[in-house]
Amino acid sequence: MEGGGGASYQRFPVVKVRETKDDYLKFELRGTDASVANALRRVMIAEVPTIAIDLVEIEVNSSVLNDEFIAHRLGLVPLTSDRAMSMRFSRDCDACDGDGQCEFCSVEFHLRAKCMTDQTLDVTSKDLISSDHTVVPVDFSDALADDSAEQKGITIVKLRRGQELRLRAIARKGIGKDHAKWSPAATVTFMYEPEIHINEDLVETLSLEEKQSWVESSPTKVFDINPNTEQVLVVDPEAYTYDEEVIKKAEAMGKPGLVEIYAKEDSFIFTVESTGAIKASQLVLNAIDVLKQKLDAVRLSEDTVEADDQFGELGAHMRGG
Amino acid sequence: MDPQPEPVSYICGDCGMENTLKPGDVIQCRECGYRILYKKRTRRIIQYEAR
Repeated sequence: MEGGGGASYQRFPVVKVRETKDDYLKFELRGTDASVANALRRVMIAEVPTIAIDLVEIEVNSSVLNDEFIAHRLGLVPLTSDRAMSMRFSRDCDACDGDGQCEFCSVEFHLRAKCMTDQTLDVTSKDLISSDHTVVPVDFSDALADDSAEQKGITIVKLRRGQELRLRAIARKGIGKDHAKWSPAATVTFMYEPEIHINEDLVETLSLEEKQSWVESSPTKVFDINPNTEQVLVVDPEAYTYDEEVIKKAEAMGKPGLVEIYAKEDSFIFTVESTGAIKASQLVLNAIDVLKQKLDAVRLSEDTVEADDQFGELGAHMRGG
Repeated sequence: MDPQPEPVSYICGDCGMENTLKPGDVIQCRECGYRILYKKRTRRIIQYEAR
């Protein structure tokens, strides 16, 4: 958007991926502020869509768990949701009348299990038969990394001889804001990158024992002592949890200003863990997409009178870029 | 909801006999007179929201 005058607030954030696995991602986000970092975090948790069972039609249930209990458990089973971004919400699907029976907005599951032996039968997420091979219960077998015992999926209920469970379930697209079962994120956290300055001159006024006890005052291993030069050095700044123990310790030793620690206000270290519904890396990309869509919605209403009331000061930010 | 209320079957808490009761009937087993009856689950499909 052009014009408006005033200062531009545009920045060019940079992302650097540190470590990536299917269900885990660690990355740095630099060159932006906490509002953007936190928006990204919140969108990942509550607004990136996934697919989850939303309606359960129980035909037979003679298990020890009541129908509602089983329906709730089924809702919490994570389903592979790579298609979720391109699916429709059943509430605004035109192709169907909202009963969730169409290819654009829903997936059907069937479950039939009956225990015929004296041995307890575990009914698991693997017993859920999907009508769509792209939307299936998440398979954790390789993630657990033990190939000895065959993986059984997520236990839904256990049946004894003669008990039976027969049902049909409809999975729909949704977001974590509506119900946590749709959240693709197990945990998403970010921390400010710390900047640690040791006052070398002041440290050299300490004896080796004093240095040792100061280094050990940190609950996490942030500092260490070089065995040769007996110098105190920062080994892992990110292990610092902003507990300020080392600062208090320095004061208690009568050496205030031994160390100064700042939180860099434009550098964030993100840790993302996925439920398995989508890959952690995809979760971040989808979150950025969702965030952009939200900003587009704001931009579209920019020139209206309502927008002036609604956004006020924010208008300057939007016109600035 | 239904055109005519279909009789509901119950199981006697004492002898296990299946009883069918209509609205207004005395709650008592026809076989042994026991007054605790258990309702049977419907054969109909029941719908739940998974929330």
